[in-house]
Amino acid sequence: MPEPFLLQAAADTAGAYGQFPAIGGRAAVWIAAEVHLMFAAFVLGVPMFAVITELIGIVGKDTKYDKLSKEFTRLLVFAYSATALWGGLLLFLITTLYPRFWSHMAGIFHLSMWIYAGLFFVESFTLYLYYYGWDRWHAGRAKWGHWGLGLLLNVWGTIVMFIANGWLTYMMSPPAGVTAETLPSEVHLWNALANATWMPINIHRLIANAVFGGSIVAAYAAYRFLSAKTDEERAHYDWMGYVGNFIAISTFIVLPFAGYYLGREIYEYNQQMGITMMGGFMSWLWIVQAVLIGVLFLAANYYLWIGMGRIPGAERFMPYTRWMLLLLVVCWIVWGTPHTMIATRQEQAAMGGAHHPFLNMLGVMSAKNTAVNLMILTTFLSFLMYRRANKRPVVTWARTGTIVQATIFALAAGVVLFYGVYGYFVEAIVRIGFSVYQVLAVLFCILSVTVIDVFLGRKAESRGAIRWGEMPERSQYALFVLAVTFTWLMGLMGFARSGIRQHWHVWEVMRDTSQYAATPALGYAANMISTCVLIFLSLVAFIFWLGGLAERAIQKAAPATARRA
Amino acid sequence: MWKTNLKVLAVALAVIGFYTLIAHAIPQLESEVPESLDLGANLTPEALVAAGERVYNGAGGCTACHGLGTRAPNLITDHAGQGSIGARCGSREPGKDCKAYLWESLTEPGKFTVPGFANIMPDMRRQLPEDQLWAVLAYLQSQGGEVTVTAEDVGFAGSAASAAAAPARSATTDPRQLLTENACLGCHAIDGQGPPIGPSFDGIGRRITAERIRRAILDPNADTAQGFAQFAGTMPQTFGQQLSAAQLESLVTFLAGRR
Repeated sequence: MPEPFLLQAAADTAGAYGQFPAIGGRAAVWIAAEVHLMFAAFVLGVPMFAVITELIGIVGKDTKYDKLSKEFTRLLVFAYSATALWGGLLLFLITTLYPRFWSHMAGIFHLSMWIYAGLFFVESFTLYLYYYGWDRWHAGRAKWGHWGLGLLLNVWGTIVMFIANGWLTYMMSPPAGVTAETLPSEVHLWNALANATWMPINIHRLIANAVFGGSIVAAYAAYRFLSAKTDEERAHYDWMGYVGNFIAISTFIVLPFAGYYLGREIYEYNQQMGITMMGGFMSWLWIVQAVLIGVLFLAANYYLWIGMGRIPGAERFMPYTRWMLLLLVVCWIVWGTPHTMIATRQEQAAMGGAHHPFLNMLGVMSAKNTAVNLMILTTFLSFLMYRRANKRPVVTWARTGTIVQATIFALAAGVVLFYGVYGYFVEAIVRIGFSVYQVLAVLFCILSVTVIDVFLGRKAESRGAIRWGEMPERSQYALFVLAVTFTWLMGLMGFARSGIRQHWHVWEVMRDTSQYAATPALGYAANMISTCVLIFLSLVAFIFWLGGLAERAIQKAAPATARRA
Repeated sequence: MWKTNLKVLAVALAVIGFYTLIAHAIPQLESEVPESLDLGANLTPEALVAAGERVYNGAGGCTACHGLGTRAPNLITDHAGQGSIGARCGSREPGKDCKAYLWESLTEPGKFTVPGFANIMPDMRRQLPEDQLWAVLAYLQSQGGEVTVTAEDVGFAGSAASAAAAPARSATTDPRQLLTENACLGCHAIDGQGPPIGPSFDGIGRRITAERIRRAILDPNADTAQGFAQFAGTMPQTFGQQLSAAQLESLVTFLAGRR
């Protein structure tokens, strides 16, 4: 029952909001937007590495990479129409359920909306040319022309994404001069698009799309591996799964840095928004995120360690994996320790203060930054061991090179630990700066050790070829865990980004006066995210099944054509 | 083939279910929407303070920074030995009384930043309507100080409450109901249950006299119970206006009898 002196505003909502049966308008838009976004991320991420693998195939004259690239692209053709369908559904839902909000957005962004639609056409036709022209333009200059089409596909896709990002970031961080009294026609289009969080989101999404695309491709390969009938097929999909996972994890390692950039810009734009995100009612969200990221690190390393079982010479590294596992788990626990949480008076009284007396020590950023950087270093070490497993370096400086690599690793870990401990003895403002040194140490380690390893491996003797296809089935389930986790994580981060606007359609410009204005708690959000993930994965499974049908039809047609010839 | 499909499905559902369970297991915090105040003829200091408390702890989002004392000074409990905000607000800025200082803090926070903290507070006029700001201000004043917000401040001049026009307050004299209605159990434990922010009601009649209990309700800052110094100033000073004489005596008798 409401307090006698507090009544809900009799806001004028007539005509501002439509009704959607059963689940309500917010849930309907939420599902359409999230599933559309998941497909969009997939169709924007996959072309990035389709083009890269095609280039590797052209330069290295290795048809295996060309085949892989074409297989990536075949998945795109089917996923494209799903992206457009969900985009259309989202559009209809917003215009019918949030007409006043749509009117505001269209009033500002109409020109960019027309350009967006036009580019979508161009992008679609470029994709069709790219895929259906694969066999026709397969050699010589024509092949380079074909590769250019792939490049163009990425350019169109990136522009399309940047435009859409402009709309959604305007909702988060409209230009300072725009107020509730500003008419949409008075807002300059470019100012609205190029708002404070536009570029950080662009960069974050570019990287995240590659991560997401890689993980979905790896899951596709895992499924094809499990259902393969021949050793050749199994070997191919084992390799494809490895490549997809490699792309996902190697780009994922860079993602936190893009996240820091986005977070910093949010704080710069509005401290209150930043605090709401990190320490306000959303503070518990980051504990859930830590759980997910811990699973990602564990599953990625597990996949690599199992994969080493099919590499001759990898036995020498296996004893180290148990210690690496221990380190990962300890770091995961530290990262998942709550710290600056909204607590009730009762909770504060139970803790004896605003923070827990013991966990307070582990939950601070010094400990968490140390933990996550050590997890990144451990995962990189797993990759390095995987890479080195069947090689015996022959360069004269092999021993020195390995010692230098080990020293760089030790130094990087030392820098991370030193600043982690030192952070406890300095002011918060100084401590925040330490994370930069930790990140730089890790990045330096990854880059320098990789460069040394490339030169170290030149003309290296082989201890035996990788036995592609000889992977235990359980390794493939790790790839599914990765794909599902990445998808769920995307939904969670989408909720964080959108939820920090709280009861605003457009931050401090246009209030949400609907019955769904309150941003829901994480339990409800989790139900929505899980629903979206299930819808997306079910549709992806259907699309992949369609892809398999098409492939079988082509394989059946090919011998018949050959016989007629 | 179907076995593989089922296994893949089971793994996907298990992973999704695991994350959903985790998200349900943690505290469920919802972002509240600012509510309009309908103070009307009920513009008593108690009504303002109570409304302000809700805004402060809810839609105002104040506790995200002021609740921890790390990003911004803690307002409800002591800060740097100066007491809670109602006690220290009048001496923060030279030439500014408590009301002027708090109003400036809410609307032009950049003008004065408490030493040791960064200037991160937004102009709250972009977040909350003015009547809610005044309500928050009244609530902050009540934390160890005197509420001086008037009807004219809020913009309801002429509508100051008359007892007759005010909505009827609860007429109950049931002490347990009074403890619940007045949120006493938010800080005091009873029957072994509840948070230890204030002294427990169990055995209170053995520890202090009925007279001390009455004074503690009417003037909570007069004495601070041993062991609760860190929460001094937390208890509202408005119960003298909130409770009728019969209600107050019912409570005092009930508590004094808890030996």
